[in-house]
Amino acid sequence: MIGGDDLLALCKDALAEAGEGEAEICAVSKRRGFARFAIGELGQHMDLDEPSAVVRVAHGARVAEAGTSQLDRESLVAAVRSASRAAKLVPETEGFAGFADAGRSIERAPRFEQRTATATAEERVARLAPTMEAIRGAELISAGALETSSHALAVATTRGCGRAHDGTWASFKVWALETAGAGGAAGYGGHMQRDVAKLAIAEETARAIRIAKLAKEPIGIDAGAYDVVMEPVAVAELLEWLAAIAFGATEMESGTSALAGRIGEQITGAGISLTEDPNDPGEHGFAAPFDREGTARGAVALIENGIARGALYDRTYGARAGTRSTGSALIPDTSLLASIGPSALHMNAGDAASVDELIAGMDRGLYVCRLHYVNGLIEPRRAVMTGLTRDGCFLVERGKITRAVGNLRFTDSLLEGLARCDGRTRARTAVPTSWSDAGASVVPAVRMRAFKFNGRSQEKAKLHE
Amino acid sequence: MSSPYEPAWLDAALQAALARLKREPDVRYAEVRFVCDSSEKLRVRDLRPEQVATTSSRGVAVRVLGERTWGFACTPMTDEASVVAAAERALSIARASGALARRAVPFPAAEGVRGTYETPTQIDPFTISTGQKLAALDAPVRALMGKGRQGKPIRSAEAWMDWTRTHKRLVTSEGTDVRQTFTYGTCGMQAIAIGDDGVSQRRSYPTFQGGDGFQAGYERIAELDLMAHVDRVADEATALLTAPPLASGTCDVILESSQVGLQIHESCGHPTELDRALGTEISLAGGSFLQPELLDKLRYGSAIVDLVADSTSPGGMGTFGWDDEGVRAGTRHLVREGSFVDYLSSRETAATLGRASTGTMRAEGWNRTPLIRMVNVSLQPREGTLEALVADTRDGVLLETDKSWSIDDLRLNFQFTCEVAWEIKHGKRTRLLRDPLYTGLTPQFWRSCDAICGPDEWRLWGVTTCGKGDPMQAMQVGHGAAPARFRGVTVGNGGAS
Repeated sequence: MIGGDDLLALCKDALAEAGEGEAEICAVSKRRGFARFAIGELGQHMDLDEPSAVVRVAHGARVAEAGTSQLDRESLVAAVRSASRAAKLVPETEGFAGFADAGRSIERAPRFEQRTATATAEERVARLAPTMEAIRGAELISAGALETSSHALAVATTRGCGRAHDGTWASFKVWALETAGAGGAAGYGGHMQRDVAKLAIAEETARAIRIAKLAKEPIGIDAGAYDVVMEPVAVAELLEWLAAIAFGATEMESGTSALAGRIGEQITGAGISLTEDPNDPGEHGFAAPFDREGTARGAVALIENGIARGALYDRTYGARAGTRSTGSALIPDTSLLASIGPSALHMNAGDAASVDELIAGMDRGLYVCRLHYVNGLIEPRRAVMTGLTRDGCFLVERGKITRAVGNLRFTDSLLEGLARCDGRTRARTAVPTSWSDAGASVVPAVRMRAFKFNGRSQEKAKLHE
Repeated sequence: MSSPYEPAWLDAALQAALARLKREPDVRYAEVRFVCDSSEKLRVRDLRPEQVATTSSRGVAVRVLGERTWGFACTPMTDEASVVAAAERALSIARASGALARRAVPFPAAEGVRGTYETPTQIDPFTISTGQKLAALDAPVRALMGKGRQGKPIRSAEAWMDWTRTHKRLVTSEGTDVRQTFTYGTCGMQAIAIGDDGVSQRRSYPTFQGGDGFQAGYERIAELDLMAHVDRVADEATALLTAPPLASGTCDVILESSQVGLQIHESCGHPTELDRALGTEISLAGGSFLQPELLDKLRYGSAIVDLVADSTSPGGMGTFGWDDEGVRAGTRHLVREGSFVDYLSSRETAATLGRASTGTMRAEGWNRTPLIRMVNVSLQPREGTLEALVADTRDGVLLETDKSWSIDDLRLNFQFTCEVAWEIKHGKRTRLLRDPLYTGLTPQFWRSCDAICGPDEWRLWGVTTCGKGDPMQAMQVGHGAAPARFRGVTVGNGGAS
């Protein structure tokens, strides 16, 4: 696969050849090894090639875009010329002030691991074999996926911007299931790393088995407000929706964001801080150090101690809002939810030593391992969301897990829920963003008081009623 | 026969890859699929061109069934050496994965098919200039924003138009060789009004963004006539700011046709996907309550509920000639007179039930493996008009245009919110209500359906980005529906949640 530096050279070469006065190329080359298993069998094992380039050309403030999957000089030059023709036909974009210049230099955070980039199909099979065997041995059914991928990113502009990046991504997710597809007890485990060899595959498999065994014979409980402890993977799904409806410049400009017109106001609990932190040098760092426009990324405080502090902008939206780009223009086609948003959303850690400590602080509540099909479009101003529990939901009584409960539907304002948050773990987990490939959220487990559940899934035995 | 979308050397490259695979004794089946996409995405927001973009993509996918299981690889290159190399990688993966397989994948042999399919269009959208298309979007946005300036608090307005042309060539080891060329479109608009309290209300036309797709040409834009709906969209968005909320409780609910379409999508389309029911979609979407032992035994809906999977519906986003396994398009009941009778299936999954594939395997593009996808899954019309149905309803609400959607991992417990509700009292629409929410359990909900409007009210909607698979694949699917009434539904107010 072509590397970032070579990709950048290709982009610069194409820009020089095309001879446009104002142009930008953002090119991505991604190679993914993806082993997806279910019903205890490895049924979808894929070698995926995902090349793409998006070219923008401006004539004054008239801007148009052309994309191609062909990463060669001829195709890129053709895309530049196509965008140039289109740009002559479009109205001006208010706030557009040209593409990025050379900008400040950036340090490349560690993002690439050779072992992941060169992982073979045979290696993925060998890493998965013990997982599938262990789950079978526990008389459960396995499902999940192991991905080893590498990607190169380059941005070049006619104003002298030239950025290149290389990264790897190794992700493992596993389910231990009572039935293959008919519901019942289920346990989930997941882990992501840059280095495939550092994935905690055995530990996460054991966790999935443990949760699945605990989740058997659930009882039904009534809807109502319950104290709740959510695992990081559940918290991350809620935050991804919050990012989509609240933190992007588009939602700020249209006025639908919960932060619109409220910067400086308390909008959630005083203990809550959310930061876009793409340059994490540690094991939770996955994001590129620049965005699709070549803007260097830095930390951006979104919510600080419960107070709305800022939003995420690209160059044009930033200019219209009287501020600067935060380096938040997402790589094209990486998100189903937004074109401007975070790629490394961090929630601040708390002081609880463990999830068990959070659970011990509930007299009667729920321990939620994972969520399903969250939707945050109900009332964006208050960030009202709905969704369901999945893969483990447990009743907690007098500080201890006592019974598995059937899946429940919640509908509540996340901002108001976080205002009732009184516990977070010290440890944080990197969770891949579930509806996009934009990056990872880094979050603790949280405890929220009186979270509203308004329904429950139907027990299968009652299907005919 | 040649195609303007295929490079001259393509045929030799595809055949060389097939020949390479057919030499291997452990290859039971192989398919090589060339896909070439061109798309144009136009979006005008608040009088500015938010997006003016064209994209092209092409490449070749190879899926191989080895002695025991599958392998998949792809390449953006179309020359013979690259396509053959992709075939060899797919075979290598199938062999590596076979080491873990406890059983051989069932895959009944089929006769090869040959033919072509092309979307019928009156006006090729790619012959219309970008400037003309932008003008068609700018006019309604300008009019909506103008409403805002006339004292109505329209804060933001947006109109969009997307076009995609996809050409596919599928050749298989069974002798299949089909060419298909699709033209997909989507077009709509929305207005956002914001009240003094900062709370926003959205109103869209013809339905929510992403639910307004079709397979047709530019002639559809004139039929949509965005300008004719500007006043209503602006008026309703504004009125919603001060409308009373829908009160919580139980009442009879009439869903307009696009909302019935989304209800079908989530609570019939997805749970009748046989791969979900068998368990192969756990790593993203979940399973299904519709298990094989319920075939012909479960009363899914009331006796007037006929849900049909039809990959031949004219203009449908789920319409094609053959699926990506070479199975011919057709029409099949999933629910007949309320009874669950069949699945959306593939050759492999159908074989596990001793049935024939219902022909629903499609891949998003050249770098994705085919999955079972909805085709056009539609509710058959009955009789009467929407106004007659409203007149026949003593105490209820008419819900229009989806706003949020959520359903559990077995597709039982659902909850939707809509943009507007119309209160119905004694057979008359009385007033607008805001933030309506309705929730229920799939079989009970469909069993409560006691009226479905007739063919004149039936409309085929298109969902442009149905997400499924891991990695995620977005797919075009269709849903035909007429407005329908459901008795005794739990309703509430999303804003008050």
